[in-house]
Amino acid sequence: MDPQLEVTSATAERLQRTLDDVTEQFAATNEVLTALGRSASDPDAVLGTIVETARRLCRSKAAQVYLIDGDHFTLAASVGFGEDMRRHLAEHPIRVDRETLVGRAASDRSVQTAVDVLSDPGYGRRDIQELAGYRTAVAAPLLLDDDVVGALSLLRPTVDPFDRAALTLLETFAAQAAVVVRHVHLLRALEDRGVELARRVEQLEALSEVGAAVSSSLVLDEVLSTILMNAVRFAGCDGGSVMEYVEAERRFSVRTAYGTGRELLDRLRALWIDLDGTTVGRAAREGRPVAIPDLDAVDRDPHLQELRADGWRSVLVVPVVRDTQIIGALVVRRRSVGDFPAETVDFLAAFAGQSALAVLNARLFRELEVKTAELEVVSRHKSEFLASMSHELRTPLNAVIGFSEVLLERYFGELNERQEEYLRDILGSGQHLLELLGEILDLSKVEAGRMEPEYTVFPAVEALEHGLTMVRERAAAHGIALTLDVDPALGLVRSDELRLKQVVVNLLSNAVKFTPRGGHVDVRARRLGPELQVTVSDDGPGIPVEDRERIFEAFQQGGRGAPKEEGTGLGLTLCRRIVALLGGRIWLESQVGVGSTFCIAVPDTSSATAAPTTSAPAAGRAGTAGTAGTASGTASGTAGPRSAGAVPDGAPAAGRRPGGPRPVVVLVDDDRASLDLLAAYLDGQGTRVVAARDGAGALAAIRREVPDAVVLDIRLPDMDGWEVLERLRADPVTRSVPVVVASIVEERAPGSALGVTEHLVKPVARDDLLRALHRVGALPDGVSGPASGAGR
Amino acid sequence: VSARVLVVEDNPLNLKLVRDVLQVAGYEVLEARSGEEGLEVARAAVPDLVLMDLQLPGIDGVEALHRLRGDPAVADVPVVAVTAFAMAEDRARAYAEGFDGYLAKPISVRSLPTQVAGFLRGERDG
Repeated sequence: MDPQLEVTSATAERLQRTLDDVTEQFAATNEVLTALGRSASDPDAVLGTIVETARRLCRSKAAQVYLIDGDHFTLAASVGFGEDMRRHLAEHPIRVDRETLVGRAASDRSVQTAVDVLSDPGYGRRDIQELAGYRTAVAAPLLLDDDVVGALSLLRPTVDPFDRAALTLLETFAAQAAVVVRHVHLLRALEDRGVELARRVEQLEALSEVGAAVSSSLVLDEVLSTILMNAVRFAGCDGGSVMEYVEAERRFSVRTAYGTGRELLDRLRALWIDLDGTTVGRAAREGRPVAIPDLDAVDRDPHLQELRADGWRSVLVVPVVRDTQIIGALVVRRRSVGDFPAETVDFLAAFAGQSALAVLNARLFRELEVKTAELEVVSRHKSEFLASMSHELRTPLNAVIGFSEVLLERYFGELNERQEEYLRDILGSGQHLLELLGEILDLSKVEAGRMEPEYTVFPAVEALEHGLTMVRERAAAHGIALTLDVDPALGLVRSDELRLKQVVVNLLSNAVKFTPRGGHVDVRARRLGPELQVTVSDDGPGIPVEDRERIFEAFQQGGRGAPKEEGTGLGLTLCRRIVALLGGRIWLESQVGVGSTFCIAVPDTSSATAAPTTSAPAAGRAGTAGTAGTASGTASGTAGPRSAGAVPDGAPAAGRRPGGPRPVVVLVDDDRASLDLLAAYLDGQGTRVVAARDGAGALAAIRREVPDAVVLDIRLPDMDGWEVLERLRADPVTRSVPVVVASIVEERAPGSALGVTEHLVKPVARDDLLRALHRVGALPDGVSGPASGAGR
Repeated sequence: VSARVLVVEDNPLNLKLVRDVLQVAGYEVLEARSGEEGLEVARAAVPDLVLMDLQLPGIDGVEALHRLRGDPAVADVPVVAVTAFAMAEDRARAYAEGFDGYLAKPISVRSLPTQVAGFLRGERDG
């Protein structure tokens, strides 16, 4: 054999083995690198991959990653150790000292080897050696910048020294493990910041909600400063700035800066950083970060020129974009030259994303503010316009209607057929316009929140009969039969009579309008639980399913009826609003070709609904019962607490007293004994007493009863009495319920602002209570001085 | 002898309408287009009834009422408030101010003569 050949063959074999090793190592390193990419989600898995790969490539029995925790190590990842070993290490941790290879590696910041730990005089952990049964050990430190964060150790069961290649690999794996640890540290910090940023954004949102958005721009700067400060620190930079993109001017402006001198900041703010021709602009347009490791090595735009002049040497620009929208840029810089690691760039991208969110939120809030302000102005103008338009249009319309009527009444002579027809058209159109005007005005009132229900107690049947009266003539003219079917047990209801009538008239006139000659319109009313339910049914053409919601919208007319059919298109919209205002609902049942039924259900806000036993007082100079009722209702609707003074002289003290239900008084006190005492005081006064012992209970009772008076303690367990009062005043239904405040100390200040006229200081005397209730109109005349008169 | 009704109304068309309707119904009608003019006319030819618009240029209907009440010569003449806002609150306010009756616009041509007859008999609501 040719020795040359032999040598060549041996060399080839060795080369082949080396190549195999390198290939394997390359593949393994690749595996670790891939795992590193996942380290964000699962650092433990990556460390596991590292120890497993290190054990395999370095041909050892066991491999461990230890992390320093104070003066000892904890086992972060391990392969080749059993459960008993892990437990032992947890109970007897390896200390950061010279007793172990791991400890030495950490102490000396270099790779440490022991060919045989048993013959190593300094080795101090025979316990571990006995349990794990190794002889040769090596360890490399995990270095993070200048800090040692842990060590990677490899063990072989026999005396079998690691070669230099293995030691090099060990160092590589240790470095990779250190990167994982750095990731973990950064992630934790990022998460912390994320939580804080999320909190800030919440604050921002909360601020806008309470209308304090004026300060949102300040909060935005604070958020951006926080983001920037952390970005600069994490990236190991010395300073930076956040720029906002001004879309209208296609340029960037510096919003906030960190680690930047006052003078430079002023100069940066004065700069026009164009979208075109600048590094910042390029990063934004291309949607990816631009790193400049050395400012001296590039052509500098004015922005970079300013930075260089101020002593900055390297810059990283991260665009802040959302979808494809340019929001701004995050710029970090160093006073030294140098690359920006990919990892740093990734982290800054995350910061940029957060900045984008903060800026977008702030912009939304700003828009919201402007829009809200605009809407308020528009709404005010609209209301003013409608109010004046209403008056200006009504006056001439009244003339149109009046003169048509004069002629139609033949005050000035006979009319021919054509004249009469035209006059009826003029009159009808005028009345239609007038109706429309009223509805527009009512709608705008409801929308502006200026329509307040005025609650009175009245016989339901009368309100319904009124509705029928309004359309009777028209129904007769069209040969339509009208029927009214009221459950005799319905009796008195408490609601807004005027508004309820308005709704019924509206539904009825719609029904009559859309029912063909010879048809039927039926009105039914009954009590369903605490509600009054009224249905208006017709046997007209019916309403297709697809129109059933639409007809409740403004200026829509159902497909039932000819297109030219007269109709304001606002009636049902208004009905829905009014019914909602009264706390009820309106709905429609219909079948095409069979007919339609409109249903309303409104709460009867009185709970005592005994039928009237006496008729109302006879009409006279002093005013009818109706007048008195209206008058007191008006006073309560506009001026806060009812006062008997608003009723014309000679009228009953409270309109609903004669023949009406008993007055209802809600007593609120958390102390049962106090409640019992107050209730006892009212015994024999003809009142019905409802008690509540906390704020929530009080609100529920008052909303249910809409009582004639509330006696309210200020100290309640769940909310104080002032809050109860505020909520009552905020609710149109309970706004005008008179409240007598009873408190231990005299606290008048907040009360007078909430319309409280009567204050009692506890303990409350019987006479004081009765007088107060009389003054707010909850007790009729004759009980004001009844200390001895009214029996128990 | 027909009753004499003073109509105080600033809108000429409304004034004409009310005047014509009442004249056809057989009333003697006096006209005024402002509160001041109304006072003048009332003092010159004491009417049996005044229909007083509440919204007037110069002194308003309420002020005109108070001045009428303050003049013994015309203090007893019944005065009916006429207002465009057919709301219960206006009615209550009118009574609180001391008007003897209340008439809501738009007036009804058919009912006006009967309503005026009622006011002349001392009824409050037209």
